[in-house]
Amino acid sequence: MARIALQSVRKSFGYHPVLHGVSIDIEDGEFVILVGPSGCGKSTLLRMIAGLEEVTAGDIRIGDRVVNDLAPKERDIAMVFQNYALYPHMTVAENMAFSLKLAGAPKAEKDAAVGRAAEILGLAPLLGRYPKELSGGQRQRVAMGRAIVRDPSVFLFDEPLSNLDAKLRVQMRGEIKSLHQRLKTTMVYVTHDQIEAMTMADRIVVMNGGRVEQIGRPLDLYETPANLFVASFIGSPSMNLIEGEVARGDGRPLFRTTDGLALPLPDGTNAAPGRRLVYGVRPEHVAPAAEADADATATIELVEPTGAETQVQMRLGEHLATGTFRDWPIGRPGERIGLRLQRDKIHLFDQETGERLDAARPRTAGAAGRAA
Amino acid sequence: MAQATSLAPGKSPLVEPAAQSRAPARRSGGLRNIGRTWPVLVLFLPPAILLFTLFVILPIGEAGWYSLFDWSGYGRPDEFIGLKNFELLWRSGAFRTALTNNGLIIVISLALQLPLALWLATLVSHRIPGATVFRLIFFLPYVLADVAAGLIWRFIYDGDYGLVASIASLLGFETPYVLADRTIAIYAVLAVIVWKYFGFHMMLFIAGLQSIDKSLYEAADIDGATGWQKFTNVTLPLLSPTIRLSVFFAVVGSLQLFDMIMPLTGGGPSNSTQTMVTFLYTYGITRMKVGFGSAIGVVLFVICVTLAFGYRRIFMKND
Repeated sequence: MARIALQSVRKSFGYHPVLHGVSIDIEDGEFVILVGPSGCGKSTLLRMIAGLEEVTAGDIRIGDRVVNDLAPKERDIAMVFQNYALYPHMTVAENMAFSLKLAGAPKAEKDAAVGRAAEILGLAPLLGRYPKELSGGQRQRVAMGRAIVRDPSVFLFDEPLSNLDAKLRVQMRGEIKSLHQRLKTTMVYVTHDQIEAMTMADRIVVMNGGRVEQIGRPLDLYETPANLFVASFIGSPSMNLIEGEVARGDGRPLFRTTDGLALPLPDGTNAAPGRRLVYGVRPEHVAPAAEADADATATIELVEPTGAETQVQMRLGEHLATGTFRDWPIGRPGERIGLRLQRDKIHLFDQETGERLDAARPRTAGAAGRAA
Repeated sequence: MAQATSLAPGKSPLVEPAAQSRAPARRSGGLRNIGRTWPVLVLFLPPAILLFTLFVILPIGEAGWYSLFDWSGYGRPDEFIGLKNFELLWRSGAFRTALTNNGLIIVISLALQLPLALWLATLVSHRIPGATVFRLIFFLPYVLADVAAGLIWRFIYDGDYGLVASIASLLGFETPYVLADRTIAIYAVLAVIVWKYFGFHMMLFIAGLQSIDKSLYEAADIDGATGWQKFTNVTLPLLSPTIRLSVFFAVVGSLQLFDMIMPLTGGGPSNSTQTMVTFLYTYGITRMKVGFGSAIGVVLFVICVTLAFGYRRIFMKND
């Protein structure tokens, strides 16, 4: 096990900067997931930790050592690649034992290490097969087995579930999480799938455009997104975001849009009338209500029952909004529906900076995380 | 699917019922395919069979027939001599030299030309500045016509005015007449062969190298492989289909060598640079002994077919 510390890490490809000074501290045995849209630099950052990309500036520490100039094999890491990167001409056992073979380990040691990893992952019946004779999930498991055999201080995963179908992805998610709980080794995992991040991570690092947007526990990110990007990226369906400004109401301030839609502000909102804001509320924090109790009235546009809940797209003034309701039936497209918003779940962001209005909420969560 | 598994030790849920009784299904599928594609077969197969018969099967059969006659090529072959041409061939020192030379060319191709091509391919297959220019430079000799290459090297080797003569005199050595010396002429020819054809094999290897997934090298880096270990454990095994193909081309090409040798040495001096095809041309065509030449052709054909089919059956059966 090892701590990982990234200090103002920068990366440029030629004159094109892709990482703009990223600082992250990862604790011993922690499962940290780097998440963000394509091109945000998360895979590049992982490859820099692995030693597959050079560091343009800043320091990467694994344990007590700065590893910037160390070769991958000297970093005591193992990596699981998106396309598995299994050697096609070697059997499963040979793939798993390859690092030990290179290190000149005796056969008994290789067999024992492969046997142990195979037992953990249920690979024993497949040891004599070649990668082409395996399914996607089995290959993924062999790639993990190869990493386990190395007994590294740090596991790195580069979008390992991207090539699997949805059902297998869910299953493998659980298996990787179980693996972490069993091995208790530091793991850094890259994905663009926020569901993967939310379900597996101890902490999530949300990245965008080569910068860290927020670091925190999954629920912290969900409940108190630091800015508009995190608010819209975390959560599915994503948060309803409506632009407008603070206006004077009957005794208490209101949020009002240019098309006249008026929405309640949370208690204790400290924003002067006229301040331009983005009003955010997650679909699951919107509930159908009788007209008398409703904060707003919308017109149903689309009803999507998913079984456990129903997602309803509605027109709220000139805005499209989504609600996730447990009640059924909700109504038909074209019908009016009253909506009540959960006051303590309303998020406000500054329209110009995109930052969360509640300054008391930290941009990063957890003592070890910080964004540069 | 037997994907449903857990991490519980001792469980073996990963064995899939893979490839069960696929062969019969494939056979019946094949028959169905033939049934569906018979109009295509009827349309496209007869012209191909006709052309192949006219220009390959018939000439081979004719050569086999003529090889049994003492025939100059004029009139009808009527002097049947049985296997006498083959007996003469077996006794010919020049033919044995030609056979040896062909063997030597194959050995040099495999031992020198292909490793050189592979080494250069590994150097220029990376996306580094100038790599494309070097690829082009190395490939240029292959683009050159064989006859032109032979003529160029004849001038280079010329003992009076050639480049080799100039360099030798510059260095204070006695001017060598490389192509006139029967002990070294074949080595001069071998040098030209390596120069002429390594670019072709290099291009094959570059294509093969570029098809290898780069993440395998990254995985090997993380596994702790050195450059040489990556070459022996990743590059060579994954390039082996290309290497086998390259060896096949090198062997077959070596047996067919003719165009470049004729302007370079014409098979001389004293038959020391003959190959089987130049021997056939010299003794069979220019001396008007078509029956004898046909016997050479038959022997060459048998050697080529044996080597080609044997090689494909043994080494390329999975490619």
